[in-house]
Amino acid sequence: MRILLVMPTPFETGRLGLENVVWLSEPVALTSIAAAVPEEHEIRLLDLRLEPEDALAKALVDFAPDLVGTTSMTTDVYQAKAVLRMTRQIRPEALTVVGGHAPTLQPQEFEEDYIDVVVQGEGEHTFRELVERWDQVVSAGAQLDAVSRRFPGIPGVRYRDEGGYVVNAKREQTVALDELPAPDRSLVAKYYGRYFFTVARPMASIFTSRGCSFDCNFCAIWEFYERRTRFLSAEKIADQMQACKEDFIFLLDDNFLTSKRRLTELCEELERRKLKKFWMTQGRTDFVADNPELIARLAKNGLIGLLSGFESNDDDSLASLRKKNTWDKNKRANQILRDNGVFSTGIFMVRADWTREQFQGLYDYINTLEIGIPLVTILTPLPGTQLYRAYQDKLLTTDYRLFDLLHAVLPTKLPREEFYQEFARALDATEDSAHRAMKNVAKRRPDFMRKYAKNMLWFYARTWRYQRVHRDYRSFLRDEEGLLNGPGAKAQLTWRDVEYPRGDEHSKQAQQEPGLVKLRIPKDTWVDELPAVGVAPPKGRNNPDSPIAAE
Amino acid sequence: MTQSAKAFLRDLRREIESHPAVNHLFLNRLATSPFAKQDYRVFAENHYALVCIFTSYLESLLVRAPDSEAKLWLAKVLVDEYGEGSEGRDHSNLYASFLEATGGDPSAVMSENVRAPAHAFITTHQRLVRERPFLEGLGAVGPGHEWAIPKMFEAVIPGLRRAGFDETEIQYFTLHVEQDDDHGSWLEEALERYASETQAQQEIRRGAIASLEARGRFWEGVQREVIRYRQPRAPRPDGPKPRALLGEVLITAWDGFEAGKQLEDRVRGWWAERRPTLAGLRQLTRQH
Repeated sequence: MRILLVMPTPFETGRLGLENVVWLSEPVALTSIAAAVPEEHEIRLLDLRLEPEDALAKALVDFAPDLVGTTSMTTDVYQAKAVLRMTRQIRPEALTVVGGHAPTLQPQEFEEDYIDVVVQGEGEHTFRELVERWDQVVSAGAQLDAVSRRFPGIPGVRYRDEGGYVVNAKREQTVALDELPAPDRSLVAKYYGRYFFTVARPMASIFTSRGCSFDCNFCAIWEFYERRTRFLSAEKIADQMQACKEDFIFLLDDNFLTSKRRLTELCEELERRKLKKFWMTQGRTDFVADNPELIARLAKNGLIGLLSGFESNDDDSLASLRKKNTWDKNKRANQILRDNGVFSTGIFMVRADWTREQFQGLYDYINTLEIGIPLVTILTPLPGTQLYRAYQDKLLTTDYRLFDLLHAVLPTKLPREEFYQEFARALDATEDSAHRAMKNVAKRRPDFMRKYAKNMLWFYARTWRYQRVHRDYRSFLRDEEGLLNGPGAKAQLTWRDVEYPRGDEHSKQAQQEPGLVKLRIPKDTWVDELPAVGVAPPKGRNNPDSPIAAE
Repeated sequence: MTQSAKAFLRDLRREIESHPAVNHLFLNRLATSPFAKQDYRVFAENHYALVCIFTSYLESLLVRAPDSEAKLWLAKVLVDEYGEGSEGRDHSNLYASFLEATGGDPSAVMSENVRAPAHAFITTHQRLVRERPFLEGLGAVGPGHEWAIPKMFEAVIPGLRRAGFDETEIQYFTLHVEQDDDHGSWLEEALERYASETQAQQEIRRGAIASLEARGRFWEGVQREVIRYRQPRAPRPDGPKPRALLGEVLITAWDGFEAGKQLEDRVRGWWAERRPTLAGLRQLTRQH
């Protein structure tokens, strides 16, 4: 059977967006499900972010796939649907499947007559079973009608039936990630050298864990993974890193810095193999602040960059986001990263009800931190999050393209023009921080700079053109023109009608919905001694390594 | 071995309906994404020229048609284009109402230089109907249009409804889905007479594919115009291949160089001036 997996573009090519400018990672979601498919099937992967506009149509005609699958984050919803709509037009006999973050958390968005199956939750086993079942239909030469496109008994799928969509039983997550095959990176070999993070390219992308055990109200990762974090063993991680031809690897974990024991084991494994690769990942600053020695050891083993959610410059805001972190830890973490020559990429969130003074306060704070890449974003109630459930009737727009963290989807306190003027100032206002951080990495990590300095000009040239758009506040206004017609806009709500969270919303919701587990985060999570290997913490949820217990 | 006319037409229809231009990603985006009326104004300002000039292709072919059968089919389509089935309003008139509903001004578009994507499309088709063998021209405006348009407009119509246009405003599109199905059937009958020889089949197919390739470039151009409307200073994305370092640096330097930008605008303006206005183009085609 022929299977075509398609990574959609995030926006219409050329529209405002961070992707393709600062960072472009491999479509690991697709290479992961591809790896789970039996070998007798022929799979092709099309990354539309790197292909001309007509590539998909040509592939549908030339390759003539029996199954087309795509994936979608929130902002890609329309693009993923366009992929499957086109498939139905050109290759009506092919089964159309969508999975990933958005289909799991907002499946109703994908209930279209050109979409046969919506995969919810982790996809490897579900997709393999779908392929096997569809292969039987195709091989038998059966009529590929609506009845043949029903998949009773396969957990984790929604499919169309006469009376609407049928939702099968939930797919249980794979507890031990080691059991899953490594992503099939041979499918993206044709794009070698095109994936990058800033100056670092060629770049490989792998994951070493899934999920996050925190429950920030602006994030849906923990809801997607049901508050479980699962890990690959150190040996498997080192195997995958070793197999990468690229010298720079992005570990796409949702929260890499979770368990001291696992990271210590990883360091031991990398040292034993004398594996010399540069890598960067995503993780929390409180872990960094509490574990300076471990960060130093990770840096010696190749950690060159860390992307962290700093989110805010005041503890009240952090509490209201249920971040369970403090600005002081943010500051200490950044110092530790600087001392070890780790390039820090910090994400900050401004709120729609901010004043000019609050913007300035944030920019001043960023400059005291010396963050390499300060990414200033707008707090956005993303579908699937607690914030979304709280604010969905106040949204100014329901166009998911504007949920890219660069547009205010809630009413602003400042006039919109002034709000975006302040927001667009972020690049210039935090330039000083970026320059000093760059100098620090150059001084402390000359090996990295020697290797990738040649890409510096390429990266600057590329980002300069993007920055030109971002520095002009009118870019944001033009992007949303005519699209602010959500319920909040229709009801003519103002910022006064939006009450921002105080931090206790989740607890209230947990009381109303008994199915939800209220989490208790120990006061000092990371310095607590972890349980010995093989001893599950009491009341743990399929997570033998987690320091977090459920109540 | 020569295919039978029926088999050839069946295969050609399938080829057209699955052609990348007919199923262009831009059209599928229109079907699935909530574009605003402002976006559709840009769309309509580009598309209007195609609608205004379409009948001239049929008129050119009518003059060159080798027999009454072909003349009859062309005349039937022309009658519809002139307003049969739309209360006497010809199709460019219907489209002008849509353009107005988007906030655009048909008379302003008429007096502007034809936009580059539309001009390229029209030039290709004028060459096909005037200079190429009759069957090639017929392939372009026949199968290349009549079999393609219903499918393309089926993608456009849901987006128009989502953007808030009412049914009378989008009548041009809904009418074409119905009428072009009829035209397609008449056409099939007419073509069966000619499509029995290999050479004739090749000419019909060549014309249809040339038309669709022009259509693909047109949609790509319209999408670029919509994006440029949203982001006039948008970063220039890579093409099909990654840009080399030198190219990246040169483009950045050029974009940052104010005099360079002015020069670029002047060259663009000069190129636009070389294209006729839509009113002028209509006049020229009538004279032809």
